Amino acid sequence: MFLIHCPYCGEREQSEFKAGGEAHIVRPKQPTELSDDQWAEYLFMRKNIKGVQFERWVHTHGCRKWFNMVRDTSNDEIKAIYKMGEKPPTKYK
Amino acid sequence: MLNYSNPITEEKSYSGLQMREVKPIMKLILRGKKREFLSAVGKSLNLILPAEANTFTKSDKLTALWLSPDEWMIFSNEASHIGSNDYQIENLLNKSICKTNLGAVTDVTDQFVLINLKGDKIYDLFETGSPFNFNDFRKKKASVTQTILAKIDVIIQNETQNDVNLFVKRSFSQHLFSWMNDTASRL
Repeated sequence: MFLIHCPYCGEREQSEFKAGGEAHIVRPKQPTELSDDQWAEYLFMRKNIKGVQFERWVHTHGCRKWFNMVRDTSNDEIKAIYKMGEKPPTKYK
Repeated sequence: MLNYSNPITEEKSYSGLQMREVKPIMKLILRGKKREFLSAVGKSLNLILPAEANTFTKSDKLTALWLSPDEWMIFSNEASHIGSNDYQIENLLNKSICKTNLGAVTDVTDQFVLINLKGDKIYDLFETGSPFNFNDFRKKKASVTQTILAKIDVIIQNETQNDVNLFVKRSFSQHLFSWMNDTASRL
């Protein structure tokens, strides 16, 4: 259990949110030209690292807005939160 | 309002807490982003939609709650007439917003149940079943929040001190009301 600072509503408890997986995965421009392996790579394969990860979250039980989060998966420390469409902070890359 | 059987039939009173359903109340959800949308709503309703997060604004007849950066709930301050789901304000907004493609208007009168709570133990009740920190909320004027109460999504509006409006989906309202009664009896 930890607190998350929703960029729209402010600080709320984690149980109000849902995690939406890895962020910044770019959809292939020509999906029909991809092999099955490449398409599966895009659809299913995620980094799932222990350490700093870029993720999407949604404030399900609040404003229902999506946003991005930089989170250390080993200790749940939230490094940064930024809105959809904004550039990710470079220092964690 | 359509002729639904009411899930909440009685007023409940405990020491420091009274609960009742307020009905029939017109409720609309407005969605839109553009600046023109905000000014069109303002002109149509004579009410400025709150731009600040977690707040509400009020006019003589209507209250507007902030739900998200592009979503607001509007409800009538006084009970409307029973027997019709046709609202003058909805028609007005349909003309000024929907037909001009500025935003969306949805009638949620029958989707939400408004429960009014009065008394000094309101927040004691909320704190038993919500992860939200009510310390600042109860002190701040004109505050609104969407959160979870007894695992149910609710919208809570701090009308005045010791007078709170709570919106809950109709299908959850009976369960929530009985949970609130059960909890209130043990406060």
